[in-house]
Amino acid sequence: MKLIEALQIANASHEGAPFHVLLACGFTPLHLETAVKAHLSLGLPTRSIKVRTGLYGDLAGTLEGTQERPDAALVVIEWGDLDPRLAWRSAGSVNEEVIADARARLSRIEKAIAVLAEKTPVVLSLPTLPLAPVLHTLGNELSHFESALWEMLYGLAASPRAAVLHPQTFRQENGHDLRTELMNGFPYSFAHADLLAAGLVRMVLPLAPQKGLITDLDETLWSGVLGDDGPEGISWDVDHKTQFHALYQNLLNMLAEAGVLLAVASKNDTGLVEKALARPDLVVKPHHLFPIEAHWFPKVKSVERILEAWNVGADSVVFVDDNPLELEQVKAAFPAMECVQFRKDDARLLLELRDRFGKREVRVEDRLRLAGLRAGQAVRQAAGSGSATLDTLLAGAEAKVTFRLGKQPPDPRALELINKTNQFNLNGVRYTESDWNAYLSDRATELMVVEYEDRFGKLGKIAALAGREQNESFEVEVWVMSCRAFSRRIEHQCLKLLLNRWESVRFRLERTERNHPMQNFLAEIAPGRLAIRRAEFSRCCPPLFHQVDCHQTEYASV
Amino acid sequence: MSDLQPRLIRCFQAVFPELSESKAARASASGLTAWDSVATATLAAAVEEEFGIEFEAEEIERINSFQSCLDLLTARQSLQ
Repeated sequence: MKLIEALQIANASHEGAPFHVLLACGFTPLHLETAVKAHLSLGLPTRSIKVRTGLYGDLAGTLEGTQERPDAALVVIEWGDLDPRLAWRSAGSVNEEVIADARARLSRIEKAIAVLAEKTPVVLSLPTLPLAPVLHTLGNELSHFESALWEMLYGLAASPRAAVLHPQTFRQENGHDLRTELMNGFPYSFAHADLLAAGLVRMVLPLAPQKGLITDLDETLWSGVLGDDGPEGISWDVDHKTQFHALYQNLLNMLAEAGVLLAVASKNDTGLVEKALARPDLVVKPHHLFPIEAHWFPKVKSVERILEAWNVGADSVVFVDDNPLELEQVKAAFPAMECVQFRKDDARLLLELRDRFGKREVRVEDRLRLAGLRAGQAVRQAAGSGSATLDTLLAGAEAKVTFRLGKQPPDPRALELINKTNQFNLNGVRYTESDWNAYLSDRATELMVVEYEDRFGKLGKIAALAGREQNESFEVEVWVMSCRAFSRRIEHQCLKLLLNRWESVRFRLERTERNHPMQNFLAEIAPGRLAIRRAEFSRCCPPLFHQVDCHQTEYASV
Repeated sequence: MSDLQPRLIRCFQAVFPELSESKAARASASGLTAWDSVATATLAAAVEEEFGIEFEAEEIERINSFQSCLDLLTARQSLQ
């Protein structure tokens, strides 16, 4: 983004609800403030972005003096915040005292961040500029002095209080603008400020990571063509100079263990593929791959079947293949799908793939996802065969639904589900962390998080529902359920729970391009209107076989 | 000159979005309450970006109106 463009975006008037951001830095915020405002405006087009900054040269004071509760806090540290003698504009002779001073300043900053993080999401950026030339060592030598400073900074970064931008990602050759630092106290080139602002905002408004990766086999998962070379002739090792494929397989293992779905789409002989995937030296664990579509049908058909098995949209999936023609065909059939050409020996490919699936933490549900999908296949097939078959299957499933009712302690899984679920989603409304916390802080808001398990395995926390009582009815404002949990009548059990307490339930439905499963469900139980009464539900509810466990006494009537 | 003026107006409007084209062409620090030191620094950076130039510090200090900025750009152009 250019400065003029950023100014135009930042200065455009927005009349939506305000989104308050604290931008805490020890330098003049100048273009960084503009860039932050512009990127937030792009990410939150319906909100009016309000950026508050602090006093020049007093980062700790700015953080300590924040009485209000901003929607997010961005803390940008540069060397001058550790000690003014380390900044270019105020560079002075340094000695061991600087270390002690820096430690004291960082300690204040760390404490202030801890207090701030209790009430709002905090994103931290460590120094991205070079130290002023205050040390006698060569610039390409890491001195003991600078090492000690970095040790302190990384100590601060290791605190779980804030999300931290990786400093290496933001070091640029032309990032420092000494002229504007000396003139205005603003140390960055605009390009650097823009990059940093984009990074900070992305941490505040993270994109939902992709859910699945479909990989080709020949010349992608391994080097060689299975049909020509045979299972023993393909390779991914040092001896054959094909180790890059082992790195790719290793990346797939990491992604699978973080909950990413992996599948194979390959035009190949099914028997040969089975033999190749049984090789003991294969790096990727074969059980991570589900489903495996290896046959001679068109690849588009394979991708279609995989999406059906996963029950996810094409826009949540990355397709990796070495063949440009296959990529083009899949892209034509699924325009929303990201199609990536496998590029051998290109480290950026692996880094880019990692970033498409990057997430801050891996939850229990991530590890349960694949097992749940495998188990769910029987349920989905039964659901497609008619209600009698499904009844038989669900009756023998030994299913248990656990409702966790209440808002404390906050369950981050609820927000994660809300912001990543498309299909069974009441209205598609996404929440920032601060908006969600504000919604929950309303005393009237009721929240339920739903866990599910059956004899096929645990699905974990798969649904969240929130709303408020209005005129003796309950208005559902948020309702999402993972697609893994479809066809188990968990949604009916949720409604039953609500209707045990309230005479009627209303739904704040918004139709989106993707929420047809939710629309269909509501059309089925409450045709023609967005509300249902207890008696009506009793008449239309199919048999429910779950054992129900409810963790809040006020709902004990269930 | 004819090319400079509309591009400079664009820079002024980016920094002072409330100004119409005609008001931007007559803008001055003394007549605009929003024109403070931060605005000067932002305006200078926007003009530098738009015209691919870099001002000297003393040139930035002389930017106190649309006309003064236009004069600086004209002088720069005549030197090329």
